[in-house]
Amino acid sequence: MNKNFEKIFAKAKQEKRGCLIGFVTGMDPDYETSKKILIEMSKYCDAVEVGNPFNTSTSDSATIMDANMRAIKSGADTGKIFKLIKEVKSEIQNNIPFLIMGYMNPVYIYSIKKFAKSCKESMVDGCIIVDSDNNAPEDKEIFEELSKIDVAYIKLIGPTNDESYIKKTLKKCSSFCYVFSYAGLTGAKQVNLENVKKSAKLIRKNSKIPIGVGFGIRSRSDVSKVVQISDAAIVGSGIVEIIGNGVKNKISGLDLAINVGQYLKELREGLSKK
Amino acid sequence: MKIEPFKEINPPDKNGYWTNKKTGETYGGTWISPLLIPNLRKVEKSFEKALKDKKFLKGLEEKLLTFIGINTPILYSKELTDIAGGEKKVGRIYLKRTDLHHDSSHKPVSSFSSCYMAKHIFKAKKIICETGASMHSRSVAAACSLLKMDCEVHIGAVDAEKVSLNKDISELYGAKIVVVQDSTKTLLPAMASALRSWQSNPDAMYVVGSVAGPSPYPRMVRTWASIIGRLAKKQFKQITGGVPSTLFAVCGGGSNLMSMAYPLLRDTTQIFAIESAGEGIETGRHGATILGGGKMGILLGFKSKVVMHSAQIAESLTEASGLDFAAVGPEVAYLHDIGRIKFRSTTDLEAKKTFLLCAEQLGIIPAIEACYVINAALKEIKKRKNPKENHLIHLCGSGESNVARMIKFKRENE
Repeated sequence: MNKNFEKIFAKAKQEKRGCLIGFVTGMDPDYETSKKILIEMSKYCDAVEVGNPFNTSTSDSATIMDANMRAIKSGADTGKIFKLIKEVKSEIQNNIPFLIMGYMNPVYIYSIKKFAKSCKESMVDGCIIVDSDNNAPEDKEIFEELSKIDVAYIKLIGPTNDESYIKKTLKKCSSFCYVFSYAGLTGAKQVNLENVKKSAKLIRKNSKIPIGVGFGIRSRSDVSKVVQISDAAIVGSGIVEIIGNGVKNKISGLDLAINVGQYLKELREGLSKK
Repeated sequence: MKIEPFKEINPPDKNGYWTNKKTGETYGGTWISPLLIPNLRKVEKSFEKALKDKKFLKGLEEKLLTFIGINTPILYSKELTDIAGGEKKVGRIYLKRTDLHHDSSHKPVSSFSSCYMAKHIFKAKKIICETGASMHSRSVAAACSLLKMDCEVHIGAVDAEKVSLNKDISELYGAKIVVVQDSTKTLLPAMASALRSWQSNPDAMYVVGSVAGPSPYPRMVRTWASIIGRLAKKQFKQITGGVPSTLFAVCGGGSNLMSMAYPLLRDTTQIFAIESAGEGIETGRHGATILGGGKMGILLGFKSKVVMHSAQIAESLTEASGLDFAAVGPEVAYLHDIGRIKFRSTTDLEAKKTFLLCAEQLGIIPAIEACYVINAALKEIKKRKNPKENHLIHLCGSGESNVARMIKFKRENE
């Protein structure tokens, strides 16, 4: 397991709580504002997930799609996302893990070996590729390259996946696995705890890997419910909506970051395990 | 004419990849959210079952013969032959008239087959599809109307305006139209939107219009679509005594091309795929993936040749909504890579002029997509100068929905 992830899960266990992982698209709405937002997020999150934007994503809701397009318009590419993460990690005081999340095409074009190298150079702790083909040699290559440098490869599991798929997926999954709470798009529905319980049961049967839950977690109460049955709550659309609305209302970058921080502060209050 | 049983002559591997054995390059796969994996496996199982189910195949054949009208003629075009230089210089030019199908294009064969499979084997109550020129949505919507299934069509906002007749016909058949405002507002974001919708509606079946998407779609769509080519091959033999010397078909994603090319892959026929050069490939404003510098990339569930700016999928620009796709299907890219299919291109202006030529000299209003192929075929056939050859051009659709734009073009250029 990646050391920084190991630390946050161990710390949370000791404090009898779950972890909070926050997601934003990198460089949304621009490089400097995104930097402010990520620094602010690092104060309230146990880990930060940074989206590497792609204009033909197949799993994102309109909210995240808009964020992708804002980031691309501001000049985002894989290299700049790494630069952003590196700068943020150099500035923040704590050493919380940062993840890079996105679709395969930007990784493939950047080249898998170079991607792994940049992960190390930019102090990235983990990587999620939403659409990676479990059967492809490229998927194996990413897993192996990241394993060599202690960067987590986090795999996704949803309520529609059966045990044989889960078993196969877990073999290439490290640090934690990301469980979708429902079959749908990011942030489009309410969190579904029954689905999470079902997936968690199948994962626990086959592995001791920590479980992070995403999709539909927006409120302190959602966070509280989710962490009772998992190790981490992952929040994305709620944060990205604040950014989207802020951009529409022409709020300054600093105020945007403060708004995101306030939202996360409130969510953090739901992390205790009962 | 009866439909011949299907023979798999270019199978992908069990994970849906075609591999160039010389270079090791792979095409296809399942590059999609894990949430859709079970749906895809269900589609794959349904497809395998369908191919072996005699009752299903008999029912499908009857519908294709009587509802779609799949026995469209192959027309010897003396006019095009003369334009190319005359029979004594270039041989004969024939047109496969899939514009005469029900719903006026090659699309209904694969669309109807997929919907028929969705109804009887997959047991879906709802179909989700994407569309560019709305030929696909129109035929899916007609199938859904006949088969009593719900139909949800995703169309880019630009295309919705360009080909409003086909869109309106889809709506009249009962389809729910979702106009997609994302990205380039054309076929590519429409397909991404349809895939997203399927992720939220796992009980529905997604019906892809091209030989693209995650496995098993590229293989399934070309298998259904190639029913056209199987019949055409038989017809052509009856007419000429052999296989075509050359085959010309237009290529956006590649369903049109593969519908005719697939049964000829192991024959001596030289196969030409025609892309849209838009305003000219050198301008960067085109719809040509192979000739426009497409590189290996991954999008919408598959790995293939893709036109990109950095790692973002590029905007393709062409008069023909049906060719407005910044990638080609994986099997098409593979066949190009191994040298089995050659590519040529036609500009928008050349295609528009060919549209007027067909209307004025052939008495046919072809879909604008078909005009790219007719133009490129004439150029190639003129160059070949072989009087012994018999050439086959896929006239893949009717141009009713292009009429408003083309009458404007005609009047402006008179």
